[in-house]
Amino acid sequence: MKFRKMDVKNANHTKGKGRPRSTETAVASLVDVINLVRLGQATTRQELERIGEYGRAIVADRLATLKDLDLVDENATGAAAGGRAPRLVQIRKDRARLAVVNLEQSSVGVGVADLTGKLVSEHHEIIDITDHYMTIDRIGALINWMMSRQPNTKDLWGISISVPGPVLTNSETPFLSQTPDFLPNWDKSGLVETLTQRFQAPVWMRSNIETMTMGEFFGGDGLGLQSMLFVKVGQRIGAGLINDGHLYHGSSGAVGLIGQLPVDYNNMTGTLDAMAGSGMIKAKGIAVAASGDSPLLADIMSRTGDLSAIDVCQAAQMGDTASTEIVVQSGRLIGSVVATLANMLNPQLIVLAGSIAQSNDILLASFREAVYGASHPLVTRDMRILRSQMNNSAALLGASNIAIEALFDPPFLKDWLMLGSPTKHPEFLQSLSQATAKPPTIYDELPPPAAMERRSE
Amino acid sequence: MTIVGLGPHGERASPPERVTLLPQDIDAARATRLHIAIVMHTMESDWSQHLVQGMVGLLGECGAIVIDVVDCDFSPEKQIVALNRLRAENPDAIISLPVNNTTVADAHLEVARAGIKLVLIDNVPIGMLPGKDYASLVSADNYGLGKIAAELLSSHLPIDSTAAVLGYEADFFASNEREIAFIQWMEINRPDVSVKSARFTKIENAGSDADRLIDENPDIAGLFVVWDTPCMEVIRAVSDRNLTLPISTVDLGTEVTRVLSQDRGIVGIAAQRPILQGETIARTAITALLKRPCPDWVALPGIKVSRSNVIESYQIVWRKPAPRDILRGLDVLTSN
Repeated sequence: MKFRKMDVKNANHTKGKGRPRSTETAVASLVDVINLVRLGQATTRQELERIGEYGRAIVADRLATLKDLDLVDENATGAAAGGRAPRLVQIRKDRARLAVVNLEQSSVGVGVADLTGKLVSEHHEIIDITDHYMTIDRIGALINWMMSRQPNTKDLWGISISVPGPVLTNSETPFLSQTPDFLPNWDKSGLVETLTQRFQAPVWMRSNIETMTMGEFFGGDGLGLQSMLFVKVGQRIGAGLINDGHLYHGSSGAVGLIGQLPVDYNNMTGTLDAMAGSGMIKAKGIAVAASGDSPLLADIMSRTGDLSAIDVCQAAQMGDTASTEIVVQSGRLIGSVVATLANMLNPQLIVLAGSIAQSNDILLASFREAVYGASHPLVTRDMRILRSQMNNSAALLGASNIAIEALFDPPFLKDWLMLGSPTKHPEFLQSLSQATAKPPTIYDELPPPAAMERRSE
Repeated sequence: MTIVGLGPHGERASPPERVTLLPQDIDAARATRLHIAIVMHTMESDWSQHLVQGMVGLLGECGAIVIDVVDCDFSPEKQIVALNRLRAENPDAIISLPVNNTTVADAHLEVARAGIKLVLIDNVPIGMLPGKDYASLVSADNYGLGKIAAELLSSHLPIDSTAAVLGYEADFFASNEREIAFIQWMEINRPDVSVKSARFTKIENAGSDADRLIDENPDIAGLFVVWDTPCMEVIRAVSDRNLTLPISTVDLGTEVTRVLSQDRGIVGIAAQRPILQGETIARTAITALLKRPCPDWVALPGIKVSRSNVIESYQIVWRKPAPRDILRGLDVLTSN
């Protein structure tokens, strides 16, 4: 608001000396206008004048500049309120694309999103992320492939990555210049550095608990709610929180590590991760297959030579008694921990997600039973407990929203807006030149994958 | 075979056996006299016809009346019109194969909002969610099909050669998965092979698109076309150039099976099982209408078909004997 008033004052000062064109002094109001439009707070010139407290000439000038920069358009018309239908001011959502990546312990998802944060396309596949180099190369190949399907939108303005571990962030840096230590040894992998250099675009990263929580809030069952607890069950068990309509980030991003909490089961004590995560489900599944308690799992073992936690969950869903007991144990233990959070936070909704939760209904049932059984009636009176319908798309959607918020954050936006692209941001260009000055890694020397070789027409 | 791909939202596949109907389920379905409409992307392929055959037969066993089978001719406009028209008929369920990921999304969402159960085949428009906007997606393991097609072509590619993929321009889950899987298999297993790619917008253009691809890359030593109907256009285009090019594709259509059996270019086919898939789709729709939970994604594995197993594969896929000319092409029959 401080910039806005100053800007209006400048505009008045130049009145009568010819129509002022946007210069750097107008950047603050340009930033304000584009964010009002982007967030849907003002959708017509009249609303920009009223909500932004700008004069008609200022709005006309700023929109002319933003159109020159190809960032907004007025091609659509809104509903008429008595007179002529107003032209709608909209962000040029197809001006550029954002690449979004979701890294899980055993899969990778890659998508592209438009400048409203909406996913345009996505693909998921199984991968072994313990091989860092192969994983990074695969992410690059899939981004290339995705962008090859965007013939009319060739500009890539950023890459937002969701990872299976907490990401300690520094709020003073607008994008990452090196890979954080989100899982053991990944800080040495060169993930951020390689993608930044290869695609010449800024990179952001958050834990997939945070991105999935945001995804459920922006596109799933959390849409329109003010409070939501998100619980993800996999090898690790984590939780995310939406409070007062905002993601709770904590002091440094290490939020919701509930898998570290100690729990007891059958006179055994261990962390929730160890006692209820997919590692436990798999180990117990192998045990009951070997002991003959589960003929179904024994059959799968004999055919494939291995057994996954998903196999155990699917066997439970198909009525296998031993598998059902294993999954019920997991659901109850997770539910007992989440009940503590629910009693403390009183959320409107709890969303249960992750491959283990997605593959069967038994985990959800036992989880619900434990949460409802251990919660105060006032807490559970209106609280819903649902299984995620978004699966890993939630992480991609959340990642795209993190990138959008970073791109259009006023302090960052003001330095690239007049340059027309965040990839021309002075700080980013400086970071890029420093990065390229480093000795090349093996991945800098890789040629573009064959997937990129596409006819030009 | 196991499912190697993931679903459109990263889901793990559920096997077709997860969707079973007990005699009491069938009785319950019969008692309600369900009305179901089917909206197909096309009815011009053998795959589509057999898929519908599988669906209609099993729906009949459940006493469900199929009120319409729409051929959208790959047109988003036709699909939108069909969905809007059928919505007004207020059937209990619509089984639809969305022709793309974007422009038909709203029409499908309107079906869901009208309280009509929606079961999707092979593709999910972007933004639609299982359990909320549709009951379930039933498809083949398209990622697995792409890998099978790559493996089948690989043995016909010389060292350090060039292969090409002819994909589908429309953003479509099934064909995207096949294309991505083919390229990845080659990158991992045949790093010596360079892969070029192009995409056709319409089936009738696939031949000319392949022509242009070969003109631009005369060193192409093998080709993968993402399904059989455009593949036949490519076969004709390649034949017109008097070129011998090993080709692999997806779907055991009668024409491509004939070409495979007669050794006239096609070296292998990654086959789907459309009748079984159709039956699975029907079971899923009935399960959803009986208000029982459905898996988010039900996937069926593909079959690797070469000249050595084409006859038995044909019988598995089509549930009938292979035509005589195919048997003759494989020297199983000598008489006419």
